[in-house]
Amino acid sequence: MLQEKRIALRNSGLINPESIEDYIQSGGYQALAKSLAMESSLVYETIIESGLRGRGGAGFPSGAKGKSTALTCEDCLKYVVCNADEGEPGTFKDRIIMETDPHSLIEGMLIAAWSIKATKGYIYIRGEYYKSIERVKKAIDQAKSKGFLGEDILSSGFDFDIEVKVGAGSYLCGEELTLLESIEGRRGYPRIKPPFPAQRGLWGVPTLINNVETLANFAPIILFGADWYKSLGTEKSHGTKIFTISGDVNKPGYYEVEMGMKLGDLINNFAGGVKGGNEIKAILIGGAAGTFASKKHLELPLDYDALKENGLTLGSGAIIVLNESRSVLDMLRSILSFFKHESCGKCVPCRLGTAHILSVVESLEKSNVGERESIFLNTIKQAEIMAKTSLCPLGQSPILPLKSAWTNFSDEIVKS
Amino acid sequence: MSKNVFITIDGKQISAPKGANLLKVARENSFDIPGLCFHHKLSPTGACRLCLVKVEGMRGLVASCTLKVEEGMIVTAFDEELEQTRRFLLDYLLSEHNDTYDNTYSDELRVLMFRYGLDKKENRFFKSVLESLNIKVDSSSPVLTYEPSKCIKCFRCIKACDEVQGKNVLSFNDRGINSYIIAGSGVWGESECDGCGECIQLCPTGALVEKPNRESINLDKVEKRVKTTCPYCGVGCQIELFIQNDKIVRSLGVEGVSPNDGRLCVKGRFGYEFVHSNDRLKTPLIKKEGRFVEASWDEAFDLIASKFLEIKEKYGSDALAGYASAKCTNEDNYIFQKFIRIAFGTNNIDYCTRLCHASTVTAMLKSIGDGAGSNPIEDFETTDCLLIIGNNIVETHPITATYVKRGAARGQKIIVIDPKWTPIVRYASVWLQPKLGTDVALLNGIINVIIRNGWHNPQFIMERVEGGIEAFNELDSLIKKYTPDYVERITGVPADKIILAAKLYARSATAMIATGMGMSQQVTGTNNVFCLLNLMLITGQVGRERCGIDPPRGQNNVQGATDVGCHPFMYPGYIPVANDENKKKVSMEWCVPFDALSSKPGLTTVEIVKAAHEGKVKALYIMGENPMLTDPNLNHTEEALKNLDFLVVQDIFHTETTKFAHVILPASTWAEKNGTFVNSDRRVLRVRKAVDCYGDAREDWKIIHELSNRMGFPMPIYNNESEIFDELARVTPIMAGISHARIELHGIQWPCPTTDHQGTSTLYVDKFNTPSGKGKLFPVDYAEQNERVDAQYPFLLNSGRILFHYHTSTMSRRTKVLRDFIDASYVLMNPNDAIKLNLSDGQKVKIASRRGELETKLKISEEVLEGELFMPWHFTESQVNRLTRDELDPYSKIAPFKLSAVNVSAK
Repeated sequence: MLQEKRIALRNSGLINPESIEDYIQSGGYQALAKSLAMESSLVYETIIESGLRGRGGAGFPSGAKGKSTALTCEDCLKYVVCNADEGEPGTFKDRIIMETDPHSLIEGMLIAAWSIKATKGYIYIRGEYYKSIERVKKAIDQAKSKGFLGEDILSSGFDFDIEVKVGAGSYLCGEELTLLESIEGRRGYPRIKPPFPAQRGLWGVPTLINNVETLANFAPIILFGADWYKSLGTEKSHGTKIFTISGDVNKPGYYEVEMGMKLGDLINNFAGGVKGGNEIKAILIGGAAGTFASKKHLELPLDYDALKENGLTLGSGAIIVLNESRSVLDMLRSILSFFKHESCGKCVPCRLGTAHILSVVESLEKSNVGERESIFLNTIKQAEIMAKTSLCPLGQSPILPLKSAWTNFSDEIVKS
Repeated sequence: MSKNVFITIDGKQISAPKGANLLKVARENSFDIPGLCFHHKLSPTGACRLCLVKVEGMRGLVASCTLKVEEGMIVTAFDEELEQTRRFLLDYLLSEHNDTYDNTYSDELRVLMFRYGLDKKENRFFKSVLESLNIKVDSSSPVLTYEPSKCIKCFRCIKACDEVQGKNVLSFNDRGINSYIIAGSGVWGESECDGCGECIQLCPTGALVEKPNRESINLDKVEKRVKTTCPYCGVGCQIELFIQNDKIVRSLGVEGVSPNDGRLCVKGRFGYEFVHSNDRLKTPLIKKEGRFVEASWDEAFDLIASKFLEIKEKYGSDALAGYASAKCTNEDNYIFQKFIRIAFGTNNIDYCTRLCHASTVTAMLKSIGDGAGSNPIEDFETTDCLLIIGNNIVETHPITATYVKRGAARGQKIIVIDPKWTPIVRYASVWLQPKLGTDVALLNGIINVIIRNGWHNPQFIMERVEGGIEAFNELDSLIKKYTPDYVERITGVPADKIILAAKLYARSATAMIATGMGMSQQVTGTNNVFCLLNLMLITGQVGRERCGIDPPRGQNNVQGATDVGCHPFMYPGYIPVANDENKKKVSMEWCVPFDALSSKPGLTTVEIVKAAHEGKVKALYIMGENPMLTDPNLNHTEEALKNLDFLVVQDIFHTETTKFAHVILPASTWAEKNGTFVNSDRRVLRVRKAVDCYGDAREDWKIIHELSNRMGFPMPIYNNESEIFDELARVTPIMAGISHARIELHGIQWPCPTTDHQGTSTLYVDKFNTPSGKGKLFPVDYAEQNERVDAQYPFLLNSGRILFHYHTSTMSRRTKVLRDFIDASYVLMNPNDAIKLNLSDGQKVKIASRRGELETKLKISEEVLEGELFMPWHFTESQVNRLTRDELDPYSKIAPFKLSAVNVSAK
């Protein structure tokens, strides 16, 4: 029997999320104490060693990011920012962590902060996540009262404080540089990169930005060691990943499993299989900025590399299942209209591109069947130029669903 | 200076400063990489993506406007892929663009459209999305029209407003394809936009175009573009006038030169309309039987020459006097003072400086040796702390204020001291709001705090202050009683704010002072400035870059007119007249007998009026001044002017003063002549003729020159203004090294003693310009004002200027745009006072002082304290100076425009 392997969700459902005592009793804040007793550089070295990659969607090696931030300057002001602006359609893993075990995030942030010697942290939470906001704030207060946050934490001489910032409904603010703009009180427009946040981030100082799920893995890695974490998952994608499954399945929900779980196993064993006795048609992996997989991918192991080899992405871990009755083109239209709506309009390729590709896909049904292939291929070409020229990941994303939809469902697109 | 590195662009090796902007470097080296959102004055945006290049070692395509030059960078600027990508992006841009063009603006997108062959519709791939967008034109602003269908959303206007001008009025509404620019919360005309037009200047397309002359301007028919200096305040902004059909049709800021680097305010950009006003004087006018009759120049010259000579003969030289003009060029003013001194034979020459910064100059001359700003305008941005006192800098020196606001954005500490709220308070770290007339006490309080806390600079005091520690001790003993609590009782300023201001000023690594009319136009004007100078000297915040005192000057050439000798006690270059050695030098240069020049210091502005009132001055020659609006106690001035035997007024319009003239001479505006102005930071700047003189009007200096001839005091023949400047440079040591040729491209800051001298940006680096070379402390005690409120006159009235108008508004109110912003007088009153008097906003009120009365409209505002009022003095229908008094500051003879006891009643 396949089992979940819960690391980020280790306490979820097992403890009272509003009780710091519960968290402590289940081993909470021990990793913090252990970290503070370590050389700070050893902390990020351990994370590097563990192979943990960013769970927000980009999959960048987490430890390397920490090291680079730490080494930008010593003894200078630095920040840790947690990206909790979970906006990728179909993704709700960070919400679960914040709602069911907020201290795992706070402890992770503390460890990250110590590793780079940051003194202040911000958690930028999606505005609609009322309960997450409430629970995280409460957890911060509790941690302060217990001396885990504030000055001279656990008598180590280390000071760190966390502030919650609430988003206002922009998808783009989940993009890390736009998020920094938003924290600074500016309108959510993406910043020019470089400089990267590790060099010049929030208010111009080195900043380490991590996703909630990523941070929730920090304490177990420190506590049980890099080797332990590395032993989980596949050869190149270590550890576990939370998948949030929705769409035409019998048991939609969140499941944390080891990397390398087969896509089909995840859908059938955990999510209860396809709803309504229908056959599976398509699986959108990674949300709007994700890719369409088909039935033939059900045997694929869910890890960064296997998916990449098949033109797919793991992304945020959102899995949206479409049964036979669904139209891939409809889904595509909905995704492209989402991008058009969320494009900030700053850069030309994304502002115009998201509008143009949507209108082409919308008019596809009205065009001659014989012309559809060339129309669609032209749209892919546009999306490729968008990807090549856009300022931020939003304009670079439409190519993902477009191209994978074509690769896997060209017959349907041309004929429907 | 950063070191140079080598980079390669398309195979060509280029040397450039490390860290320089790659796009800028490429363009400077003739790689014409397209790009629409980049502008050298703005931070890179990376929005249009047209400047994409390939850089070895970097993934994909990168926007060159966002890259800094690094050693060994290998860049591909042009290849097929890049050019195709650029064409693709332009095609995209054009699909949301209305590409009709009416030749009224320069259009960078249009140039690229032709370059990439996209003017032909068949070459375009993308259908227009314009129709699907819900956008509408905003033409509610007096100065511009926003046409969203021409907007490419490049952010240049937003950044122009924010980063360049520090105003932050513009932003995008909505998002993505639907976004468009809005001012304030949506309607341009209702926003805080003050019409500076920086956004228009930086707009790359026709989205933002100015309204004035939009119907008539045609860029293909513009005959010439003339670079010159703005005629309004003393910042000296460099402007470029577009001339079409011998008329000015547009004014642009000149990029890349000091003092403004292309920035302008609403007056500099739009205030030129008066030049072509039908109200201009076009012929000489002679008053015959109470009526002005047109006359020939010959007739006018003969009459004036004979009358002046007759009066000189009958009453002596000192019965004649002249008012020079801060609006005229150095060349005009130099010739004018020379005329007064050689033809009238008197030193009775003065001008409006006596009404504005005379006290500042008096105090500065005594204390530190020069009456001009000690630092360049750029220091307003870079100093760590700026004390702005009695100076509504945003409205009176809008471009200087842009430097301050940019400084504030960088974290500069700003202390504002002003009894009235002014817009710079928004940027201030602390605002001290003293009661009117209590500045000496407040500044002594600040000095007291500094000394008590040991924040003064003993080393500076010992080395650079006359009398050293002894002089300091003398100051210390005087200010001992000015404890913060004591000062709070006098000024109403809370003690903790006094302490904070003292700390910020004294403890910042660098600090500057910007002092204005609020300090100078008081009976205690000189004492006020002495206190400021004491503060500066004991803290050593002077004599370095970003440290010193700058009194921004109110008029375009108020600095220059004194520099070139329009001063009753001084020859050109601040050389005292009461000195035989000086007189000898000047008489030799002017080729007149030693005795032809008077050794007796002349009368000042208000003294001239008093002397006229008393019948001692019989004839007055006024060039470009309007004392019937500018002088204090106008009822008295009116009687004085009526009492004159002969009054000549030389101006461009009829003014309140011309009424009393016997002869009016039509003169030229700044746009009609060549010459120079000196701005607030001592920069000598070129003025260039852009259009011909109106009607029979003549250049001022030519009028004076001819008059001098006719009176029998011929001056040398000057073939042009450059030759006049050469002569004035010979008698003005501070400008000896300057000539028109040297300042063709960039102004030079005096002192510039020799032709190979680069000019001086910071004064007093080694020594002060006093006889001892040291700064001098002048301890001053606070004294209560003689003008006080009582039961009959319970309010203190303050007066001043506003952004949209200028002095007596003869120029600004003849410009539609400026009238559109505001065209009526008002008085500000605190809401609590309005309640007490049962007065409501907008109602007509009568204001009376012990000297006169006027009518205006009431504006209820928390900008003033209870018991105090404020009125702008630009409006002839409500002449504020009917209320002011002519009690003078004993040292500088300045009049106290800032404080008059009045009462207010419903009308």
